[in-house]
Amino acid sequence: MPVQASDTMPAGDRSFTGPLERVDDCCYRIPKSYKPGMLVDGLIFADERLVSHLRSDRAPEQVANVAFLPGIQSASLAMPDIHWGYGFCIGGVCATDPAVGGVVSPGGVGYDINCGVRLVRTNLELADVQPILVQLVNQMIRDIPVGVGQGGNHIFSPAELRVLMQEGVGYLRGRGFATPDDIACTEAEGCIAEARPELVSDRALARGNDQCGTVGAGNHFIEVQVVDRVEDPVAAARFGLHAGQICVLIHSGSRGLGYQVCDDALKALRDAPAKYGIALPDRQLVCAPVESPEGRHYLGAMRAAANYAFCNRQLLMWQVREVFARVFAKPWETLGMELVYDVAHNIAKIEEHDVAGSRKPVCVHRKGATRAFPAGHHDVPLRYRDIGQPVIIPGDMGRASWVLLGGPRALERSFGTTCHGAGRCLSRTAATKAAKGRNIRDELSKSGVVARSRSREGLAEEQPLAYKDVDIVVDVVHRAGLSTKVARLRPLGVIKG
Amino acid sequence: MHEVFEHTADLGLRVEAASLPALLAEAAQGFFEIIAGDLAQIRPQVSRSFAIAGEDPTYLLLDWLGELHAAFEIDRLLFREFDVAVHDRGLTATARGERYNPAVHTLAHEIKAITLHELDVRELPGGWQATLIVDI
Repeated sequence: MPVQASDTMPAGDRSFTGPLERVDDCCYRIPKSYKPGMLVDGLIFADERLVSHLRSDRAPEQVANVAFLPGIQSASLAMPDIHWGYGFCIGGVCATDPAVGGVVSPGGVGYDINCGVRLVRTNLELADVQPILVQLVNQMIRDIPVGVGQGGNHIFSPAELRVLMQEGVGYLRGRGFATPDDIACTEAEGCIAEARPELVSDRALARGNDQCGTVGAGNHFIEVQVVDRVEDPVAAARFGLHAGQICVLIHSGSRGLGYQVCDDALKALRDAPAKYGIALPDRQLVCAPVESPEGRHYLGAMRAAANYAFCNRQLLMWQVREVFARVFAKPWETLGMELVYDVAHNIAKIEEHDVAGSRKPVCVHRKGATRAFPAGHHDVPLRYRDIGQPVIIPGDMGRASWVLLGGPRALERSFGTTCHGAGRCLSRTAATKAAKGRNIRDELSKSGVVARSRSREGLAEEQPLAYKDVDIVVDVVHRAGLSTKVARLRPLGVIKG
Repeated sequence: MHEVFEHTADLGLRVEAASLPALLAEAAQGFFEIIAGDLAQIRPQVSRSFAIAGEDPTYLLLDWLGELHAAFEIDRLLFREFDVAVHDRGLTATARGERYNPAVHTLAHEIKAITLHELDVRELPGGWQATLIVDI
């Protein structure tokens, strides 16, 4: 029988009815007394405008479940774009201490290892692009692989992929697809150390051999935007941004290679909880101590996949530059198409943090959450170190996206982390139902956004109303001091799967 | 019988059948309907055999769909018909379909993976039921 969409599940089946205690005007607590087995509290950054969203799905339950993970430090955290994921919620942050048996959980990174975003600025103004916007977006969807089953323009042999995963974006520089500035403006300079490409399976290599430089589907996209408003002129100037300027936002991850690395890890870890005596409330939270053969194996393969993802976004940006060069009949360098920053929002990293008065390395899981280091942090690129790390927050394709700055309180409150997007508020089935009888492409066009998608589902499921208002989400992290507002960008054109 | 159920970011699939082999076949149909929408557009022109080891029905379902997923991701094979036999140590199956052709087929979703979250296979009075969530 055909697939039927069911949105009639009883509310009790999907809503959260547990405790949400107000900590301050932008933070709520799930006390560890909520469930036997929670080692720490859950803390969710949200305000009164988002509380109804919080209770609408099982994401808070997932925050509580993450608090079971051995070695978890401070609290199980979630950002205001929180929504129901698998295992971890989307928007979840968890740091574990390897020295006390702290674990790494592939579910805390997700299948799309190093899914992330990068923002490219141009020296074009709105008036330069508006007259040829349709032509530009049409050219983008013709030339840049996007959607299910779309192979890429770059094919890598297994041996080439292993070097690419070891060297990251530096490998692409050697192939003529990256510049030193591109590398300098990518998180971890586009290459996470201690990657172990030899641990990536043949199946993962087969899935990834023609997908480096492809957008994919789901919520991934490439968007032409205009800087709508500048909130922090000093930081905006440092990032090379001003009102009226055209930018391009790219959102994708490690494609099939990364999904397979996660899948392989989950299979390899099936017996690990029993082996290490770990009791878990959800099978998807399967994990192993960071300092165990299984934990080290996953981290090595995950870092390799993360480097693949940096390369994927680099190749996508390179193809965007080529499209702009073709359409505007000028070299991309003349168009000033420089990378502002590339940042991961699905990753686990060993970082040094102050926890309860002592500084120590912890394994920070960011699942739909963005690193947001403040001024002075040694991991912020030199060119931005005196002001803080750029944070790129995609919103939805009808309203806005944001550029933020690593916040003064991020290190003390959230292991140097902020939100990663607007966060869904409608399920895919509900969004599809809401799109019946409407033409989303036409609606977007009437509001000034040229949208092109490979599938009908791509626009229906990702329509603006499927997402929370990113302005509210960003306002919460701004007031919480996790990251501060720099510039708001408005969409003009988007390609999607 | 299978149906898609709501999940905020992804898609859930609930499956019911009279037996475990029928459940695995029905789940495979639901899986490819999520990818391709209408299975009628897929012609049963090629077949592929599968043999999967495992005794736990839940992991058997996970690994079976994982193999089908890999066949699509790597070899671009879309399937619509499934014959599944379950024995003591695993399953054997034949799937029939054709290679994805963008000129012929319209696809609906890219499935990243079959998650373990709320993954459940159980025998009920009169049949079997499975619940799974796929990452989109």
